[in-house]
Amino acid sequence: MDRLACVDLPELPLQILLDRHPEWKGLPSAVVAQDRPQAKILWVSPEARSAGISVGMRYAQGLSLEPKLQAAQVTPRELKQELNRLTELLRSFSPEVEVAKEPGVFWLGASGLGSLFLSASAWARQIHGALGAMGRRGSVVVGFSRFRTYGIARHTNGIRVLRTPQEEDVLFKAVPLEKLSLEPELRDTLERLGILTVGDFLKLPAHGVRRRFGQEAADLYESASGTRHEPLVPSPHEEPVGCVVFLEEPLSDTVPLLFLVRRHLHPLLRGLASRGEALRELEIRWFMGRDGERTDLIRPARPNLQESLILDLVRIKLEAFPLPSSVEEMHLRVHGSSVDPEQLRLFWETSGRDLSAGERALARLRTELGEESVVRPRLMEGHLPEACFAWEPLEHLRPPKPRPKAGHWNMIRRVYSRPLCLGMRPRHEPDGWLVKDLRSGPVTRICGPYVISGGWWRKEVHRSYYFLETLRGDIFWVYYDASRKRWFLQGRVE
Amino acid sequence: MEGVEYVPLWVKSHYSFLEGASSPGELVEEARRLGLTSMALTDRDGVYGVVRAHVAAREAGIHLLVGAQVSVGEAPPSQIVLLAMNREGYGNLCGLLTLGRLRSPKGRSSVSWEEVCSHSQGLIALLGGDEGPLASKAEPAPLLNTLKDVFGDRLYALVARHRRAEEREQERRVLDRAGRYGIPLVAASEVLYHTPSRRPLQDVLTCIRNGVSLAEAGRLTRPNSEYALVSPFSFQTLYQDLPGAVERTLEVAERCKFSLAELRYRYPSERLPQGFSSHQWLRELTFRGAMERYGRGSIPPEVKAQLERELALIEELDYSGYFLTMWEIVKFCREHSILCQGRGSAANSSVCYCLGITAIDPVRMGLLFERFISRERAEPPDIDLDIMHQRREEVIQHVYERYGRSHAAMVANFIRYRPRMAVRDVGKVLGFTRTSLDRLAKLLPHHGEIAPEHLRMAGMDPDMPISQHLIRLSCELLDVPRHLSIHPGGFLLGHEPVHTLVPIERGSMEGRTVIQWDKEDIEDLGLFKVDLLGLGALSHLDICLRLLEKHHGLRLSMATIPAEDPATYEMISRGDTVGVFQLESRAQMSMLPRLRPRCFYDLVIEISIIRPGPITGGMVHPYLRRRNGQEPVEYPHESLRPVLEKTLGVPIFQEQVMRLAMVAADYSPGEADQLRRDMAAWRRGGRIGRHRERLISRMLAKGIAREFAERVFQQIQGFGEYGFPESHAASFALISYASAWLKRHWPAEFTCALLNAQPMGFYSPATIIEDAKRHNIEIRPVSVTQSFWDCTLEPLDEVECSGEQESEGAKPLFAVRMGLRFVKGLGRGHWERILEARSKAPFSSLEDFVQRCGLDREAPSSLAQAGALGALRQGRRDAIWGVLGALRKPKGPLPTRERETQPSFVPLTAWETVIWDYRTQEHSPLAHPLAMVREGLRKMGFPTAREISGMGQGSKVRYAGLVICRQRPATARGVTFLTLEDETGFVNVVVWPSLYVKHMPLVKTAPFLGVSGTLQVQGEVVNLVARSLWTPNVCLQKAHAPSRDFQ
Repeated sequence: MDRLACVDLPELPLQILLDRHPEWKGLPSAVVAQDRPQAKILWVSPEARSAGISVGMRYAQGLSLEPKLQAAQVTPRELKQELNRLTELLRSFSPEVEVAKEPGVFWLGASGLGSLFLSASAWARQIHGALGAMGRRGSVVVGFSRFRTYGIARHTNGIRVLRTPQEEDVLFKAVPLEKLSLEPELRDTLERLGILTVGDFLKLPAHGVRRRFGQEAADLYESASGTRHEPLVPSPHEEPVGCVVFLEEPLSDTVPLLFLVRRHLHPLLRGLASRGEALRELEIRWFMGRDGERTDLIRPARPNLQESLILDLVRIKLEAFPLPSSVEEMHLRVHGSSVDPEQLRLFWETSGRDLSAGERALARLRTELGEESVVRPRLMEGHLPEACFAWEPLEHLRPPKPRPKAGHWNMIRRVYSRPLCLGMRPRHEPDGWLVKDLRSGPVTRICGPYVISGGWWRKEVHRSYYFLETLRGDIFWVYYDASRKRWFLQGRVE
Repeated sequence: MEGVEYVPLWVKSHYSFLEGASSPGELVEEARRLGLTSMALTDRDGVYGVVRAHVAAREAGIHLLVGAQVSVGEAPPSQIVLLAMNREGYGNLCGLLTLGRLRSPKGRSSVSWEEVCSHSQGLIALLGGDEGPLASKAEPAPLLNTLKDVFGDRLYALVARHRRAEEREQERRVLDRAGRYGIPLVAASEVLYHTPSRRPLQDVLTCIRNGVSLAEAGRLTRPNSEYALVSPFSFQTLYQDLPGAVERTLEVAERCKFSLAELRYRYPSERLPQGFSSHQWLRELTFRGAMERYGRGSIPPEVKAQLERELALIEELDYSGYFLTMWEIVKFCREHSILCQGRGSAANSSVCYCLGITAIDPVRMGLLFERFISRERAEPPDIDLDIMHQRREEVIQHVYERYGRSHAAMVANFIRYRPRMAVRDVGKVLGFTRTSLDRLAKLLPHHGEIAPEHLRMAGMDPDMPISQHLIRLSCELLDVPRHLSIHPGGFLLGHEPVHTLVPIERGSMEGRTVIQWDKEDIEDLGLFKVDLLGLGALSHLDICLRLLEKHHGLRLSMATIPAEDPATYEMISRGDTVGVFQLESRAQMSMLPRLRPRCFYDLVIEISIIRPGPITGGMVHPYLRRRNGQEPVEYPHESLRPVLEKTLGVPIFQEQVMRLAMVAADYSPGEADQLRRDMAAWRRGGRIGRHRERLISRMLAKGIAREFAERVFQQIQGFGEYGFPESHAASFALISYASAWLKRHWPAEFTCALLNAQPMGFYSPATIIEDAKRHNIEIRPVSVTQSFWDCTLEPLDEVECSGEQESEGAKPLFAVRMGLRFVKGLGRGHWERILEARSKAPFSSLEDFVQRCGLDREAPSSLAQAGALGALRQGRRDAIWGVLGALRKPKGPLPTRERETQPSFVPLTAWETVIWDYRTQEHSPLAHPLAMVREGLRKMGFPTAREISGMGQGSKVRYAGLVICRQRPATARGVTFLTLEDETGFVNVVVWPSLYVKHMPLVKTAPFLGVSGTLQVQGEVVNLVARSLWTPNVCLQKAHAPSRDFQ
């Protein structure tokens, strides 16, 4: 009979939350769906549970039961990251890992692993130990059926290896229903009926359960009674495509290295293509003996399979950031993304305004100057000039949208990325106010002040802005910073 | 250099809700400090703050211009500032705002330019601002022409400067257009706070209004702090290039001569019979009533004299219409069998007594008429009418119908920021997480300041700068009005349409319209207000009297309930007063055995003495000692004997304080009333101090020793605002006595009525039911075959249903059947369907019940859990299973007979039944939760409440009980009083401040509490003074009802 194991990390989102807030350990705490008093409680700590707080309650309701209740959100992204990490870990114990919908529950195929790990108990112990090393608490139950091992795992603390299906059956029937993640309404109704364990639940007539509680409860009933066939459904795992190249002689020149990369890149790209993917990222790890190693990430503008383009980016990278010493070993790994064949074809098409060419150029810039080198301004609602816009990375170019022609020319105000400090204004100015240099001449006209103040909740700001026109006709945009007692040149008007 | 005078013409107070950050008083005071002689108040779409500003301006000697910033048009609205030049202009402004408000959703207003033009008479218009047509990019030629035609020389172009860069471009357009259209310029910066230090609060209010945090606010907040009142010099500097525009502010102020003092108010005249003036008709009704009260031809001479005196004053002050209105409303209530009774100072009036408005004979009680009306005060009298709360809406709708919606509107009530709401709103704006704010809010008191300690308790660091902002801004926000609500029962009635007096807007409740002023505003302007207040006790009495008539054929009214019944007083003296109006509180219950009321007047004193005024004034103990003969009755002066004689030389009522002043210090009645008002305000303004010298010197001149004079003044000062007038206490005492008499003689009926009148009173239904059980009343559980929506009386099998039970301890005649209204999750609509089905035919089975009632899933499940289906299916679990099955039964033309095995469920234990009862109904007819765990409690050595009441002074006790009441009165200097309950009665627990601080979360939240302490026994009054508090190691599984907690 096939064996499997259930790994249960109870209240995994809560465990993640407590990693974030270690000071909450031992206190009643909960994970909520949103950050608001009426948000639903999704997970509760044992301390909160003993205060009468249960899943499905509103946070405010929980707070009325336990004034010390702490709560916060765990985002789906955080959870997914953690699940990926755990899945990777569990894959080192079994090739068959199924990730359940319920966060923190995994099933592992256990057949045939005894010889590798000496015994099922030793295997389970190692899994438990590895999880503990990751800071996760949970239980591992090795048994015979998916749902039953799950139920027992929820009720077990630590490791349990079941020897026979009969043992599994007995233990499973004693599992309290509150340990299973039932819908709160079903859980409460069953509790009211005095149905507290799986065994009690299975004593109810099957059709009666279906009629009263619906299909979901009927499915649960079938799973619990073992009449439902539920084979293990391992999550697919695809190894990244890559290769390791040992160099016979250490190389430091770019050209031979590029040729070497090209030779090995070609089969890798073919491998990606066979999976219907295009290259999203090329990861190259250069090993340089005693000088350590370096990893370069090459990202084309869009996923593609064009070898010359990718090699060009590698070349730019190596030219912009030369390797400090000779390379002895090289690891290549390609990460792909699914691409529609038709979409791939479009890469080769050109138009009058070739956006993809522009994107390729930007990709080269990014490769040469770094990821943050290609940005665009975004207008923002703020009072201070520097708060009126922000730079954001430009991912993709968009077709231009020319504005209708304005009736008259506007003056352009240039904002310095950092205001220039003009220092204190001298008490005596025999030649008039010389703002920047002698060539501009003294200030002949002042417009202002326009006051911007605020930010009292973080850092108080008080600036009096002026437009200054000099004898030469330059228009400066300056401000007096009351807190620093200095004049600054914010920009100029042209 | 001294600045040229100017007048701020565009000023918004915090009555521009969530925009202005200063009160009208602060603005006026700042204007005075800056040396300004005039100031306008122009709140957004309202005149909410003008009365406060008017009162403050009057005191500060400042000319107040009344106006409003009016929103015109839609998305985005434009705006115009309108200022009232005269009474007509003010009426037009109110009418315009009423139009805008009534058509818009609550909190908004919008009028059209045509409407502005049609209401232009008597108004000055200031056109400008960011959203005004003068500054807009689009050319407003037709509109400007129209406005110029309509307003003529009353139209000004407003130049607003706040040192914003964008203003320059807008101002260029304003100056250009003003020049082209010949509109004179006037300088007026928008004022949103009285001092720049309020800018952070204004930013926060802006964020609250827009539902964003400060980090997200962007340009929604103002760019700088240039929105404060400024000195004339600063204003002149700001507009130094437009000196004419500054001078024109004075011209505008000169033209606005309207003052709120001009409001001449005429009370709506009643429809009078042929040949009668309103005063003649009032006189006629008064003497007709007097004959009914005293008997034909036997009106006592002193009553006659009093009536003549009152009627003369009423005629002189032209108040007859007001009395006639109140008489008409009372008549309506009588005709429709709605129980009502006048309260407050109206009970000092013989006219009110004879008209049937009040039930207390002021002549017989020796009450002071001047407390009600005085010539010196020249303020309209205030008649508050208590109406049984379940039928108050009928009376309100009657008033609307009778006077019409244009002549009757309800008085407003401003919802102001309290600590909890303040930290929630400010915290959100500052970016605190909602969950942590919720935790903090729940730890805060309902009133008072927010302290760092509160943040610490909520797990927040009060020393962080952001926390300090939270504390400071939340405290600044306290008392700031947030939005408008409706006063519980105050009406403004007017002879002229009310909207010419004050704008009217929609209330959130269907069918209600509300004015923009609250009760204090109405009082300050001397307008008449009709107060129709809901009183649960009257509903209780009404229901109880109807039950007596229905089940015993006994027709009683409040007037015919036997007076001065010794058995009733005996019960009251024991403090056995759960459910008795005004005598049921913890403080009253512990005072009753010490005061031991023996007559009606003792009840009047009892009700008045447990008030903050007499308590803080130190009147309670001297009175008790004198009453018990432990100290002699003394009077400061023989002349004061008549004043203080009936309260043994101790002033207890407001009238006595007034009379003290009149007799001892020769105050006129009007001066005495002013003293009363200053007493009410002494904590705030120290106004009582100005009476000190006058009172003491006059008393000395009368030969009263300085020591006594000082003591009298101390008594007056200590009395403060928290005392009852004797008349008010007497009115309440009537209701108290009636309810006590019913409790003593008809406990089942009393309990049934009290439960049906819920929510009201001091105790939860669970406590009322437990008290009834201790009085041998059988409480029967809910049942769909027996119960109605309300509780009902069911005859006890073994007792004949006739006569009154005479002595206590005799078995009552009826049991109380709990009504379905107490089952959680069951609505009135559900009940009506059950009743309809049940009246057609009795339910034959559970399936029959479910199918014929056609209820949704929740209601039958709730009934099954509450045990209400017991008559149809034994066992609550079986009933739940059955209900769920019946609800999902396949529907079809033919009945299906599905075979289903009936599973066997474990029956509920008695303890579980009690827990289920509490979970579904918040009470249990079966037993008190502690009775079920008594054995365990005994093993732990905990006595019952009854056993504690028999223990001696100084006994050391460990007790555990359900907390049913928590109180922390301001008068008790931080002492907290808890009432704990078990199946045998109550235990009063006293928690000293140090212990409270140590165990605050436990004291504030624990429903089941353990107390170790020492007994303090004084006669029949037993208090357990807590030494430590703890959570008993007994699981009650939420089998407790909500407690009544301090605010």
